[in-house]
Amino acid sequence: MDTERVSFEQLAGISACFALAVLSRITSLPLWVPLIVILCGAIRLFTARNGRSSPPRWLVFTLAALTTPLLFLRFHTFNGLDAGTALLALMGGLKLLETKTRRDIYIITLIIYFVSLSALLDSNSFWLLAYLIAVSWLTTAALLRLTSRGAAPDWRRCFRHAGRLLGQALPLTLVFWLLFPRFAAPLWQIRSDFHGAQSGLSDTMSPGDIDKLALSDEIAFRVHFEGAAPPSRDRYWRGPVLHDFDGRTWRVTELDFGGAPALQPQGPVYHYTVMMEPSHQRWIFALDWPVHSALEAAGLTSDYTLMQAFPISHPIDVVATSYSKARATDSLNPRMRRRDTHSFNGNPRTLQFARNLRGEHPDDMDYVRAVLATFNQQPFYYTLTPPKLGNDSVDGFLFDTRRGFCEHYASAFAVLMRAAGIPARVVTGYQGGTLNPYGDYWILRQSDAHAWDEVWIDGSGWIRIDPTAAIAPERVEGEMADATNPDEALASRWQRNAGWFAGARLRLDVLREIWRERILDFDQDSQQRLLKMFRIPEPDGQKLVMVLAAAMGLVLCWLTWQVRRELDPRSNDAATRAYARLCSRLAAAGLPRLPHEGAESYAARVARQRPDLAHTVTAICRQYSALRYAAPSTSITLGQFEAAVRTFRPRHSPK
Amino acid sequence: MATLRQVAIARLKARSARRHGHDSLPATIKRRRIYILPSRFGMMLSVILATMLIAGLNYNSNLALVFAFLMVSMALVTMHHCNRNLLRLRIDVTPEVDAFAGREAVFEFALRNDSSVDRRDIEVRCMTARGMGSVAAKEDTSISVAVPVAQRGVTTVNQFELRTYYPFGWFYSWTYVQESLTIFAAPAPRGSRMLPSVGAQGNAAHSETRGDEDFSGLRAYEPGVPLKHMAWKVLARGGEAAVRSYSSLAAQPEWLEWSSLAGLDAEARLSQLCLWVLECDAAQRPYGLRIPGKEIAPSGGAAHRFACLRALAAFGMTET
Repeated sequence: MDTERVSFEQLAGISACFALAVLSRITSLPLWVPLIVILCGAIRLFTARNGRSSPPRWLVFTLAALTTPLLFLRFHTFNGLDAGTALLALMGGLKLLETKTRRDIYIITLIIYFVSLSALLDSNSFWLLAYLIAVSWLTTAALLRLTSRGAAPDWRRCFRHAGRLLGQALPLTLVFWLLFPRFAAPLWQIRSDFHGAQSGLSDTMSPGDIDKLALSDEIAFRVHFEGAAPPSRDRYWRGPVLHDFDGRTWRVTELDFGGAPALQPQGPVYHYTVMMEPSHQRWIFALDWPVHSALEAAGLTSDYTLMQAFPISHPIDVVATSYSKARATDSLNPRMRRRDTHSFNGNPRTLQFARNLRGEHPDDMDYVRAVLATFNQQPFYYTLTPPKLGNDSVDGFLFDTRRGFCEHYASAFAVLMRAAGIPARVVTGYQGGTLNPYGDYWILRQSDAHAWDEVWIDGSGWIRIDPTAAIAPERVEGEMADATNPDEALASRWQRNAGWFAGARLRLDVLREIWRERILDFDQDSQQRLLKMFRIPEPDGQKLVMVLAAAMGLVLCWLTWQVRRELDPRSNDAATRAYARLCSRLAAAGLPRLPHEGAESYAARVARQRPDLAHTVTAICRQYSALRYAAPSTSITLGQFEAAVRTFRPRHSPK
Repeated sequence: MATLRQVAIARLKARSARRHGHDSLPATIKRRRIYILPSRFGMMLSVILATMLIAGLNYNSNLALVFAFLMVSMALVTMHHCNRNLLRLRIDVTPEVDAFAGREAVFEFALRNDSSVDRRDIEVRCMTARGMGSVAAKEDTSISVAVPVAQRGVTTVNQFELRTYYPFGWFYSWTYVQESLTIFAAPAPRGSRMLPSVGAQGNAAHSETRGDEDFSGLRAYEPGVPLKHMAWKVLARGGEAAVRSYSSLAAQPEWLEWSSLAGLDAEARLSQLCLWVLECDAAQRPYGLRIPGKEIAPSGGAAHRFACLRALAAFGMTET
């Protein structure tokens, strides 16, 4: 039977499903793969339309022999996720081309399921999951229609039936999801296949980097504070610290863990959880100044930046502690001092300006204040669309354009400090954030990305200086949108400020956060907490499996009952059910209904044998007959009949 | 592999026969006797599902796991639906079927679905053949299974099978109904000899066999007589059911004898006898059959014809 030829309609249905599944992976496939898939599908459908069979085998083999090496050239392996999926999609397309029988289509459905799964492996999107579940629903409906041997049921019935099966599968899915043991560590190392853009800040900064981010509403991370949140002026989230400047670009030089001057914490302490979105980078943005984090795979660098050992590819939660102020009384180690006072040759006007200013202000802090006063008093503008700068970018900015974004100010400030021999470095990260009142957490978007400086003052340690605040204080105190010129208002910005829209957005974000916390972050620990909730002492893997088995048993019993319940011919009729109850009660009283007896004759027999019940039973049975067989407009309603049966309690023997 | 499978199936069949004894038809299919296994497609699916699960666990991707778990659950739900597709069906069949060698024996299986869900794609497997049908909710259907018959003889199987791959072909569930089905395969009607009476009387007999209209009296009714020969008037007057007898019917009974066919081998003789039985029956002449070990007294009608054909079918076979 499986060797039966497929029809045009069956082919079209399954081709559509396959196309939808491949669509979910489209961004990670080389462009020509979907093109070949479409071509194969089109050729096969065309031949089917004209009643011809599949193209000759040699064509399929030639295509396979041509395309597989191409794929290998592109990926250099078939082992990774992207390469594997591309190969699978290609094979699916070729299979479509050579499809003759039902068995071929069975194989294509399996490929569809697998491609759908591979799309989900490196995704966190609710919508993608919903989309792919819908695709497999369609595929299953197509399969149902395909496997029907007799006259196939129409499409609508197939969809309904497949949907019903999916619905019945949900409770079991939930049990598996909650209780199926997860691996603590992967069985084998996964090749990092991430070709897409890393998001957020990077370990370099050149003019124009951050103002690109400023246009992005994408969420970088969320923060939940235990207790009160710090005020806006203290909400600086530390990211990459940049030391090396080549006249245009700032870079992270080396990363070392340890060797940082010891911090003496001062000021209020904050305990909080940073909920990172996957950025495919290693930075975790902790509040200034972090002293401790509860993440095993993370450590503090000598720049007080929190880093994970491997890129963040899944959402993670990091519990950390920070102090709003910290002093370092040790002196700066000479190597670090040398690194952070190193001036790049170039920007001659800037160096000259610094030398003059330093002459007037020999004290380090005085000099810092003088530079900030320059930014404040000279006509410096804060803009998202700064003019282009030449090779001596700092000279151009400080003396010609005087228009820039935070990175321009941070860069110029650090150069001015170093020119005066004060150790200085650029810190990139995020600043501010929006409180979500519906969820008690702060949202940090890419548009909150910021750059500032730290200068080393002997006796105080590293001091945070935000030169952008000198020019545009609103930028630090309030929203960046307020600081920009009105003519630079961005569509996304005013949308965020429109009242109801902002509210809806924040509410939606709460859902997103729940999705993240409950679904994406669900792991072994969550399972142990779940077992503890059910009062299971010392939960471990073995107990988890036992609970899983018990829960599965329960759900399968429910499923059996649910599936068989539909078989009962009377199950969907309340009147018949009530009548069955009446009969079983009378049977318990010693008067079972005989198979051939109708309601009226049964009542007559009961009346003869038990005169004490005669009146009630006759009445009820007459009601039943009326409900069953009379015209709809009879005086008795279903509710009355059910009530009459409910109150009827025959005793076993007459008094 | 195949042999292992065959051994397993044979044991299962024997076990089913031992446990459930003989079913009285119509039989209702009970829960306990429905077996279920994944099909070849289902095996492929399970390999894919296992791979999906391991991939999801290894990539530590919760979304992939949701999808994999959903598909696994879907397969388990499908298993229940496949099993239900046979549950509580009522099946009936006429257990004895007559056929001719070289033709097909057709069993008509009557299926009754008392439940409120449709049962789709029910396959009946009987001997070497199979038939397919669906039964809508609270309806009946009839599935015919045409078993090709190669040789003359009596073939009996002790059970037949109901099977379904519904809904997705991932699983198949099946059950054995313990009911003996018998095919009486009469020899292929073939031969060149003329009827004994014709051979003896020459062409005179022909005019007599055509004498349908020569009314010669009434005789008692027996089943199988053509309706047009019923004596309706007698019946209407309140008399016994009677049949009008015509000269052709009232003629000397024809004896179809094994011994008259000297010179032919056994199967050829049987084929010739079979042809004669059919000829006499078509001509509505009473006839008797005499073969070694069996003698059937002259008579007419369908029942008599079947008795004769079965005697021919069973010739030389040990009684079972």
